[in-house]
Amino acid sequence: MPSQTDQLLVGEIQALLAEAIQVPVETVTADLTFGDLPQWDSLGHMEILMRLEEKYGVEVNAETIARLVSIPEILQFLKENEHE
Amino acid sequence: MNNNSIADYQVEIQPEVLIPDYLVGEIRSKLAYVDESITQAEVSPNRIVLHLDPFSQGINVDRKAEIIHKTQQVVNSMARGAFKPKIQVLEDHLDLRLPYQDDPMPELAALGEVSQEAEGIFTIGPLLSRLIDFFDRQFVDLANSFNAEPRRFPTLIPAQFMERVHYFRAFPHSLSFVTHLREDLEVIDRFSETAACEQGSLNSPLESFARIKTLLSPAVCYHHYLALADKPLVEGKSITTAVGSCFRYEAINLTSLERLWNFTMREVIFVGSKEFVLENREMARQRMEPFFKVLGLAYRVESANDPFFIGEFRKQAAFQSAFQLKFEIRALLPYRNSTLAVGSYNYHQDFFGRNLNITLPDGTPVHTGCAAFGLERMAFAFVSQYGLDQKQWPAFIRDAIK
Repeated sequence: MPSQTDQLLVGEIQALLAEAIQVPVETVTADLTFGDLPQWDSLGHMEILMRLEEKYGVEVNAETIARLVSIPEILQFLKENEHE
Repeated sequence: MNNNSIADYQVEIQPEVLIPDYLVGEIRSKLAYVDESITQAEVSPNRIVLHLDPFSQGINVDRKAEIIHKTQQVVNSMARGAFKPKIQVLEDHLDLRLPYQDDPMPELAALGEVSQEAEGIFTIGPLLSRLIDFFDRQFVDLANSFNAEPRRFPTLIPAQFMERVHYFRAFPHSLSFVTHLREDLEVIDRFSETAACEQGSLNSPLESFARIKTLLSPAVCYHHYLALADKPLVEGKSITTAVGSCFRYEAINLTSLERLWNFTMREVIFVGSKEFVLENREMARQRMEPFFKVLGLAYRVESANDPFFIGEFRKQAAFQSAFQLKFEIRALLPYRNSTLAVGSYNYHQDFFGRNLNITLPDGTPVHTGCAAFGLERMAFAFVSQYGLDQKQWPAFIRDAIK
């Protein structure tokens, strides 16, 4: 069962993602993956990455662009990099 | 031309942001679209020099300021916060000893092997035509190795379709539009009596022409996706091949056979699941490698991005690079010590499947990819490396084109 900290972080990611790709936050499920919503396309993906960079200091590079393709991956990455 | 000096038709600009080395070429090619008066652009990381057309009207301080402003906009949009691409090299055979080092264009023109009709529009002579046919036969052999179904596609493509695949947003600068006279007797009569060309352009009023519903096709594979649109792909996979004329307007970059407005592409097109497309794209690359090696072509295959327009360039190029969606076959041009893309191995993920509603039997969007080869460029790269003296060519090519 996810910890309370994880749940809070997932909520933040969902909100960030909804704003980045301009969809209602209710449509952003906790396991949402690139391509699940038409708005999470290549341009949407880069918008998400740039907002993650701004909010959490994530470096946007080839590795993060290719890796951070789902909310669980983003969560895992932020935890590995000790963002809270 | 008036009494101004050459310096009056030159603009020197210090970019507001330093241009990374890996963007110098991309920015140079995009500056062609900044203003119609630009005839040449020289770009280095901290300096841009634009050469302006001495025959263009009204080049004064205000116009120059406007051009400088637009140039800074382009550079800022592409270079500010740019993502450095991670170049992956899959094949590297650039280090070959080649018999020819010159620019082949003057010799090709002198021998009647190329004849320029207009910018980016060339006719091709017998030797180059035989070379092109020879290369196409190799690409057809590749297609046959996949049992690809042959198809023929038109040169025209509906504007509506291009809208569905977001082409207007991604590549507006390279579009070529098609129209015809309006179905109106007066308009047609007036045209037939008065139409003439002034400095190469038709003098007819724009109102004479019908609204644009059709474009010249920029790629071969689009037609296949259009044919599959809005229905399930019953067999779950498809491999097709076709050759066709493609059109990409490149403004002042259209200088030789390196960049043609009207060129020919052979494609092998894969449609199916992600695994099916990726596996076949890779197999196509592996099957072509021995041919290029035997040919003695100096080239490399490396990750690349499409020439997206300024607004989308930064994000789309980074995305393509990170996911390794495109690998280009880049042949050496010894006379300029640079490389030219003569083909590419592409993976579009489920972009066309989603936007054109093409589904697999399980209801998910299909994935697509293609191996694409530019036939004129292929022949041009070959004669750039081996010249026009056939005695210098590999024997098997001499025999094949007899």
